[in-house]
Amino acid sequence: MNFELTGEQKDIQKAAREFAQGEFDKEKILEWEQNHTFPRELWKKACKLGFVGIHFPEEYGGQGYGITENALIVEELCRRDSGVGIALSLVDFSSEVVLRFGTHEQKKKYLIPVTKGEFISAGAYTEPDHGSDITAMATTAVKQGGAFVINGTKTFITNGSLADFFVVLCQTDPGVKPPYRGQCTILVEKGAKGLEATEIMPKMGIRMTSTVELSFNDVRVPLTHLLGEENKGFYQVLEFFDESRIEIAAQALGIAQGAFDRALDYAKQREQFGKKLADFQITQHKLADMATKIETARLLVYKAAWNYDQKRIDPKLTSMAKMFAGKTAVEVADEAIQIFGGYGYITEYEVERFYRDAKITEIYEGTKEIQKNTIASALIGKLN
Amino acid sequence: MNIIVCVKRVPETADADVVIDKSGKDIERSGLVFDLNEWDNYAIEEAIMLKEKMGGTVTVISMGGEDSNESLRKCMAMGADDAVRLTDPAFVGSDGFATAKALAEAVRKIPHDLVFAGVQAEDDGFGQVGVALAEILGIPHVSLVNSLEVQEKKMKVHRELEGGLEEVVEVDLPAVLTIQTGINQPRYVSIMGIRKVAKKEIKTFGVSDLNLKPEDVGLSGSYIQLEKIFLPPVGEGAQMLEGKPEDIASKVFDILKDKGGLT
Amino acid sequence: MKKIIALAEHRQGELRDITWEVLSKGRQLAEGMGAEVEVALLGKGVKKLAEALKPKANRVLLVEDDRLEAFNSETYQKVLTQLITERKPSLTLIGHTAMGMDIAPALAVQLKMPLATDCIGVDVAGESFALTRQLYGGKVNAAVSFRKNGPYMITLRSGGFPVVEKEAFPGEIVSIPSPLTDEGLAKRFLQYVEAAVGEVDITQADVLVSVGRGIKEAENIPLVKELADMLGGALSCSRPVVDKKWLPKDRQVGTSGKTVKPKVYVAIGISGAFQHVAGMKGAGTVIAINKDPKAPIFSVANYGIVADLFKFVPVLKEKLKELKKS
Ligand SMILES: Cc1cc2nc3c(=O)[nH]c(=O)nc-3n(C[C@H](O)[C@H](O)[C@H](O)COP(=O)(O)OP(=O)(O)OC[C@H]3O[C@@H](n4cnc5c(N)ncnc54)[C@H](O)[C@@H]3O)c2cc1C
Ligand SMILES: Cc1cc2nc3c(=O)[nH]c(=O)nc-3n(C[C@H](O)[C@H](O)[C@H](O)COP(=O)(O)OP(=O)(O)OC[C@H]3O[C@@H](n4cnc5c(N)ncnc54)[C@H](O)[C@@H]3O)c2cc1C
Repeated sequence: MNFELTGEQKDIQKAAREFAQGEFDKEKILEWEQNHTFPRELWKKACKLGFVGIHFPEEYGGQGYGITENALIVEELCRRDSGVGIALSLVDFSSEVVLRFGTHEQKKKYLIPVTKGEFISAGAYTEPDHGSDITAMATTAVKQGGAFVINGTKTFITNGSLADFFVVLCQTDPGVKPPYRGQCTILVEKGAKGLEATEIMPKMGIRMTSTVELSFNDVRVPLTHLLGEENKGFYQVLEFFDESRIEIAAQALGIAQGAFDRALDYAKQREQFGKKLADFQITQHKLADMATKIETARLLVYKAAWNYDQKRIDPKLTSMAKMFAGKTAVEVADEAIQIFGGYGYITEYEVERFYRDAKITEIYEGTKEIQKNTIASALIGKLN
Repeated sequence: MNIIVCVKRVPETADADVVIDKSGKDIERSGLVFDLNEWDNYAIEEAIMLKEKMGGTVTVISMGGEDSNESLRKCMAMGADDAVRLTDPAFVGSDGFATAKALAEAVRKIPHDLVFAGVQAEDDGFGQVGVALAEILGIPHVSLVNSLEVQEKKMKVHRELEGGLEEVVEVDLPAVLTIQTGINQPRYVSIMGIRKVAKKEIKTFGVSDLNLKPEDVGLSGSYIQLEKIFLPPVGEGAQMLEGKPEDIASKVFDILKDKGGLT
Repeated sequence: MKKIIALAEHRQGELRDITWEVLSKGRQLAEGMGAEVEVALLGKGVKKLAEALKPKANRVLLVEDDRLEAFNSETYQKVLTQLITERKPSLTLIGHTAMGMDIAPALAVQLKMPLATDCIGVDVAGESFALTRQLYGGKVNAAVSFRKNGPYMITLRSGGFPVVEKEAFPGEIVSIPSPLTDEGLAKRFLQYVEAAVGEVDITQADVLVSVGRGIKEAENIPLVKELADMLGGALSCSRPVVDKKWLPKDRQVGTSGKTVKPKVYVAIGISGAFQHVAGMKGAGTVIAINKDPKAPIFSVANYGIVADLFKFVPVLKEKLKELKKS
């Protein structure tokens, strides 16, 4: 057994840390957060340095590393700043669906620009009436004159107003039972006729990302925009989640660590009753608990990532990592605010934003309840 | 233009709580973050920029244990082509002079037109290695360089003097330049860079590879040795203002008023 | 008789302060060793400087040569190698300055002489010396000794040794022929370049609010700029702030920046490296704000505040606003 990162992984971690340290500017971040602005310049810089799409193969513009290396980067970026970290880590959201199921042409056309900072991607699964349960989609794609005609509404779509292309989960065969056997993932490019994005805001956290409602009104896309096999969309999305949930777990891990760093620093400085906060045993125990949870989350996240890279895909472990890391992020950020006292409640002191940003990791890409379902069903299997 | 850059990995101490260890001769190193010496970061950037402009190679050399590979890899990820680590139990305890001797023997083995070192290292602050190295190699040096321009077989170099004054000198190549901070803006390490480095090997040279005898280097080859370290009497002169921030602020107001700091 | 040779440092026709510091320390050590102190002065047309040095040493060793008009380590090294070889001083003292850093290490190698650089303390210890140096940017002091027999060379931190006024030496000026020839040099001095003049002259300010790397990012500079404005003072900084291009070079305080003498100097997020301190120790009152209680700046400050600047400076600004009104 070996719990050490490789030298190369340490280098990657350090590179991400130095980039975040040098480029994430607190004043600007507060402004972006307030104005719901996406950090466009930082995105371009991050792409130039190879941080985006590090887990894509070289031929598609990537660096040929695995999910583990991607997780290390996401962790470092979110540790430095939860908001910017999440915004940057999601710029290639769902590109992996193209990577895993697309044709060579599709991958070349869509993935290379993502790594170059020319394209932002998005994945549209959730619908107003279908969130945790995507086994049946109300958004339909019908073949008509050599094209798919898409109609319906997707909601909570990250990057909606920025994305250059969307991976859209559609019901192609509404008649089939169970309905998830009649779903496809289809690529839709921005600006397609009949495609409309409406920003959903304000929202609790991750304000540097765009979240939209997408409506499809007779949107026509060529049949060549089908990803992978017909009627396999649902399965593709589940497979994608096995991967993407690790990245979300890494976001949560970074947020937890970042909130902890700030709390520790503060506890060592702030004095009350003639003592540093860190001199009170209550604070010491809080810090000990926080650090222990973070370390536990880290072990789970790294193990899930490592397993994935070893091609030992384990949805149970992925769900454990995501659930536990998300929970840790929320709890640690909460406790960090508590350690900061009143200051913690004030925007300038950052931890309240970490808290708000942390919460999403328990919701998107499958709520924590859904993760538990996944874990439990893997443990128990089918009961007859 | 083939350039050699001498670099060192050092602990970052400006923001850290520095504690003296049990031996009394070193600081407690666990818990400290280590990085490439600040001056060396500028030196490696300058070398890479020159290479990008003029072609040639950049080789980095560091004397140190296995941990130093981290700094060497960083330099290669930034754009250096090769790295060499000088490592041998005999090097332990080397002062600036002994370090320069070892570096000189390594430099001799590598084709070069130019050698860079940082002006000084953040940890021991000798400010000596680069210039001593030049003398051992028998080539000219320019210290405290804050801008440079390569010409035919020579270069035009600005040296930083006191008070913002600069001195412009011309120096024949090969030469050793010690690089001052601020000469450029060091780049970030890219993932592409790290990937390239992963396939590279870091050569190691020991005493026997370097035309040196063990007694030439390390403590026995050094001119000075550390007896003990201690914390300087800090805050001796200063009256420390304590209390609630608001109260301290009021005191500061009184001091400012009293000493002519409010106009 | 035993000798100490100190190297005089001059530039553009003037002796630099370090010369008096090195000479003063040299004399003190000479007294402890029962030695004489001599000062080496290299230059062109520097008789006047030799006269000024005469009362401070047993002897001024004057080497005049047109080729020594401006400092060049190569010519200096040739002259000093010969001078030291002939006169056999037990100790050669040089300032740890732009000049000393350029010449001492090479000279010591050539002369095979043990060298200790940037010392802040030197005491006679038998035939050798006990030295104090600083490590980690002044956070730690180190007691250091020579491992080999002398003669020795030591470079002294500028500003690290006080100039003690003592009874003048009768003194003498000994002219020493220059060993330099017209043989080509590998390094050639071309010219001096003066610092660019900026819009604000920090050397003239009565109040300076000075900011260091602790400010973390360019975007935080307004926080301290506003404080400077409130005090009717100017904003200055330490070197890393200039290196990172957060403020222009003409705002830099320290050896390679400006020397300032304001009535009040407020150092914020500055550790107090000696190169910085050298530029501001003439300030009337120094107030330092640093989150590290062990920061060396607290040993030069009159008043110290251990606090996170991002928390304390806003409080200070509020308080000043409030108190200035009343
Ligand atoms: C900011 C933001 C960004 C998002 N980005 C995207 C995106 O880019 N693409 C995309 O497709 N979607 C995105 N989503 C949608 C997100 O994935 C869904 O919100 C999430 O899957 C939950 O769906 P829902 O909101 O419909 O909640 P519901 O499914 O209605 O769930 C409500 C509650 O019921 C619980 N619950 C539901 N089913 C069960 C069950 N079987 N057992 C126990 N409890 C259950 C849930 O855990 C939850 O607590 C985003 C959401 C937000 C808020
Ligand atoms: C030849 C030469 C010439 C040089 N000339 C000069 C010169 O002219 N001027 C000059 O300044 N330097 C000069 N230097 C550089 C000098 O050695 C130091 O590197 C430099 O002065 C350090 O600057 P600093 O104190 O701002 O940064 P650091 O040493 O990094 O110190 C930063 C300080 O900020 C504190 N801090 C961090 N965060 C906070 C916070 N939130 N609140 C409060 N405090 C905080 C830290 O505790 C630390 O003490 C020169 C160096 C050389 C070799």
